[in-house]
Amino acid sequence: MEHFIQMIGRNMFAIFGAMALGGAAFMVASRTAVHSVLGFLFAMLCIAGCFLSLEAEFLGMAQILVYAGGIVVLFLFVVMLVEMSKKKEKEVFQLQSRYAIVAVLLGAAAFLGVFRKVLFGAASPEALVLRPELAQGLNVASQNAQAVSRGLFADYLLPFEILSVILLVALVGAVVLAKTERV
Amino acid sequence: MASMNAVLLVSFLLFSIGIIGVLIRRNALVILMCVELMLNAANLNFIAFARHSGSVSGQAFALLVMGFAAAEVAVGLALVVALYRKRDTVQVDDINLLKG
Repeated sequence: MEHFIQMIGRNMFAIFGAMALGGAAFMVASRTAVHSVLGFLFAMLCIAGCFLSLEAEFLGMAQILVYAGGIVVLFLFVVMLVEMSKKKEKEVFQLQSRYAIVAVLLGAAAFLGVFRKVLFGAASPEALVLRPELAQGLNVASQNAQAVSRGLFADYLLPFEILSVILLVALVGAVVLAKTERV
Repeated sequence: MASMNAVLLVSFLLFSIGIIGVLIRRNALVILMCVELMLNAANLNFIAFARHSGSVSGQAFALLVMGFAAAEVAVGLALVVALYRKRDTVQVDDINLLKG
């Protein structure tokens, strides 16, 4: 039992990653929009778990807050507003699905061609593993939020400010786009 | 401890599912969700490489990407609502005004 729990703890990323993939596949494949939103929610929560298992605690929590708390609710509201359409969806998938699948397969082949050595090769000179001794620089698990905020407000202050302006523009734009004609 | 390859593979698969969704679905809402999924796959890579290189920049940028995703969703959903008011549909195949 102890051994089993330890094994789960070691493979936390793989478990969460597989569940995220399942949620994403459910999102793409399901017919009703509400089911898609639920699959999206599940995938986002599992990605937050992935972040946590990669020792980005602050980002994992922010992911849960932003996505599960904000974006999914926004999506559900719009589904509720929009999905009562009179004419039903004739087909879920588009006609050019064949071409799309061919394009994606080509992309996957290109990816595998580039990363074949990294993913399946026996031993590259410097193996791509997560190095624990470097992670000390992040002060992981004790002060992750502090480290992230130092990066954000000291090194990347300008992108942060630009992001705030973009959020303001998006806010105003969303209000203008969604308001009714007769105001 | 997760290996870098596992992270890269999961991120690639998530991104592929996002691309497949954008290409084959007809519902504009689902397409927006797939775009969000692709942004999250990129975020996963950012965090993995931050962990790999021991620098915090990747995590800071992942936070910025999250903010951009929120802005994008706000504008995109407003567009969907406006479109529904005008054309009474959210199926992208029915929106062919520019076709002439």
